[in-house]
Amino acid sequence: MTPSPIEYTAAQREFRAEVRDWLAANAPAEVRGLRVPRGPSDLDERLAAWAATLAEAGYLCVAWPTEYGGRGLTGVEVSIMNEEFGRADVPRLTRGMGESLVGPAIIAHGTDEQKRRFLPPIISGEHDYCQGFSEPDAGSDLASLRTTGVVDGDDLVLTGQKVWTSGFWKANMIFVLCRTNPDAPKHHGISYVLLPLERDGRPNGVEFRPITRITGKALFAETFLTGARAPLDNVIGGLDNGWRVAMTTLGSERGGSATTQHVAFLRQFWQLVDEVRARGLIGDVRVREQLAWAYTQVETIRMAGLALVADLAGGGTGRGLGNGSTSKIRWSEYQRRLTEIAMDLLGPDALVVGDGYDLDHWQEEFLVTRSHTIWGGTAEVQRNIVAERVLGLPKDPAPGGTR
Amino acid sequence: MSLATTTEQRELRATVRRFLADRMPLTRVRELMATDTAFDRQVWDGLAGLGVQGLAVPQAHGGAGYGFGELAHVVEECGAALLPGPLLATIGLALPVLLAADDHRYLPGVASGRTVATVAWLAPGGGWDSAGESLTVANTDAGWRLSGSASTVLDGLVADLVLVVAGTGAASTVVAVESGGTRTALPALDQTRPLARLDFDDVPCTPVGRVGDGARLLDTALDTAGTLLAAEMVGGARACLDMAVGYAKVREQFGRPIGQFQAVKHKCAEALVAIEGAEAAARYAAWAADENPAELPVVATLAKASAAQAYFRAAADNVQIHGGIGFTWEHDAHLYFKRAKASLMLFGDVGAYRRRLADRLGL
Repeated sequence: MTPSPIEYTAAQREFRAEVRDWLAANAPAEVRGLRVPRGPSDLDERLAAWAATLAEAGYLCVAWPTEYGGRGLTGVEVSIMNEEFGRADVPRLTRGMGESLVGPAIIAHGTDEQKRRFLPPIISGEHDYCQGFSEPDAGSDLASLRTTGVVDGDDLVLTGQKVWTSGFWKANMIFVLCRTNPDAPKHHGISYVLLPLERDGRPNGVEFRPITRITGKALFAETFLTGARAPLDNVIGGLDNGWRVAMTTLGSERGGSATTQHVAFLRQFWQLVDEVRARGLIGDVRVREQLAWAYTQVETIRMAGLALVADLAGGGTGRGLGNGSTSKIRWSEYQRRLTEIAMDLLGPDALVVGDGYDLDHWQEEFLVTRSHTIWGGTAEVQRNIVAERVLGLPKDPAPGGTR
Repeated sequence: MSLATTTEQRELRATVRRFLADRMPLTRVRELMATDTAFDRQVWDGLAGLGVQGLAVPQAHGGAGYGFGELAHVVEECGAALLPGPLLATIGLALPVLLAADDHRYLPGVASGRTVATVAWLAPGGGWDSAGESLTVANTDAGWRLSGSASTVLDGLVADLVLVVAGTGAASTVVAVESGGTRTALPALDQTRPLARLDFDDVPCTPVGRVGDGARLLDTALDTAGTLLAAEMVGGARACLDMAVGYAKVREQFGRPIGQFQAVKHKCAEALVAIEGAEAAARYAAWAADENPAELPVVATLAKASAAQAYFRAAADNVQIHGGIGFTWEHDAHLYFKRAKASLMLFGDVGAYRRRLADRLGL
């Protein structure tokens, strides 16, 4: 057996066995080998059934505390879970942004009543959230957002335009940042509100206009809010306190995907090697150097993940072993570059698409990876974060207190 | 054994850092640079007193029986301090040859710091893969005799023990030379890592390991040396980034610290991303050297290339961020810049290591 670079505790080893046994007994054959597609597909029903099974067994929202229906897993335990799902070759589904963003925000800032009302429907899948943060004039500078929220009786009335709303096609809730106090400084006066797309079975003033991405598919939308109403009880963390709420993440628990993130990259690497071989290019020195470069990047991602989880499993804090920003810069820029190289290596074939702009794997990845260095904080913003928060370089004299 | 850094490793590392800060400040490095050997015997003995040279030597042969995982942490500190001296040659190159050859004669000397050792294989004018081209060894009536020349030998002037990879017919064999031959200093671009040319004319020697096993032993040595060199480069790269960040915080132009400009910030952030990756690879390779040697030929190769790129970039950007002062002999930035480039080229440049990796992956 290959020696493990991570020393797990007895409890962690037991947890691994528990997950492995559960998967062996409960993972249906029809989800084995499934890759979750980016958009709507004919797999949706099968995936929904699998998600329901996971919800029932407590394998969704696993990082949430047990009192809120989660499993209270540590980053190391989440990484173990990811490894076991990978070993069984079944998708480890999550409840998306509801699980990763909305739930943690409610848990950290919501009232008891809000926790009771909003957390269980996230786990069950009854509430499916999309995000209403970015605006046409508020991208990296999110706090300059202009969508207004006006109190009217017991309701907050929202008007404005949001953009880049992913997953709108399956959502029935949207979590929105809006300005409820126009006189307060930029980062104050913002509220975080959970807005249903329908109220009492009627449309609630939220209109999605799909935006076609450079891949030709419309997987996100512009969102127009026209007098959309949410009960004031749906404001998380209180009026004008939304910026803090929005900054809540699961950041305290590192490790989750650290030991499995490389798996898909490795699969893709060997797929490229096969393609290169099939074209008789594997002997080319330049090609070999490029492939070796790619392998090095994937291995570096794997090794950094192992070092982090080894430290966490041993009771460490993971300090000095990277952070969200350096890790995102590494993988997103690797993916971007790899797919550029892949296109070059595939040559003229890569220039021809299918009918209806149907893209093959490499064409789609080549285009999609442009988004990875934009969403969730652009590569440039990530560099600023690293420089300022990790290296301690002086902040830009950005007009943080003015608008 | 876990990949995680242990408390003992942290303590050892802190001890070495304090020792080097005290005994090997950059002012002392500069004094040594002006000499042919760049060797401070007292500092070498001091490191031996801390147990450094014996870390990866088995207990049965006078060592501490730890491993390369411990050494990697120590060597990161040595790289950060630009320690001149034969640690890489002795522990990175010679020790793995002795261990792989199962030759225990010199291990106690290496472990105690008494023996400085190096490995010689490069043909004058040849490339890194020129082993056996300019050196021959034969078993004569008078015993084993070595003839020929080796170039670019690390710490060749001060080594008590020179392990030479020499041709024996179609194959190559490693032999140990303890005296004899002519040693000539080669003025080095990186004055912190002295090089020498060794010429042998019928010099007595003894085989190390099996006759004809030289290529395997050299490969093993290069994987271990690559691993430790990767750790050394990571330490050097961190020192460069610290230097650049420290300067960017205080140097003002246009009425503000230059570290406020994104052009400077982003260089520093990119250096950190590269260093973190290289550090993960270097420490993993050191872990593999101890725990999973079968993996070493692949991971040492990619760790070396990765660290070389990170170090060179950090060192070059450090010069750039310092501006004119960074281009002066007086400023320390060039010491790291030259060490970075020389280390990148040592045993093969980044492209050579990538081609080697492709071969080892079976591409």
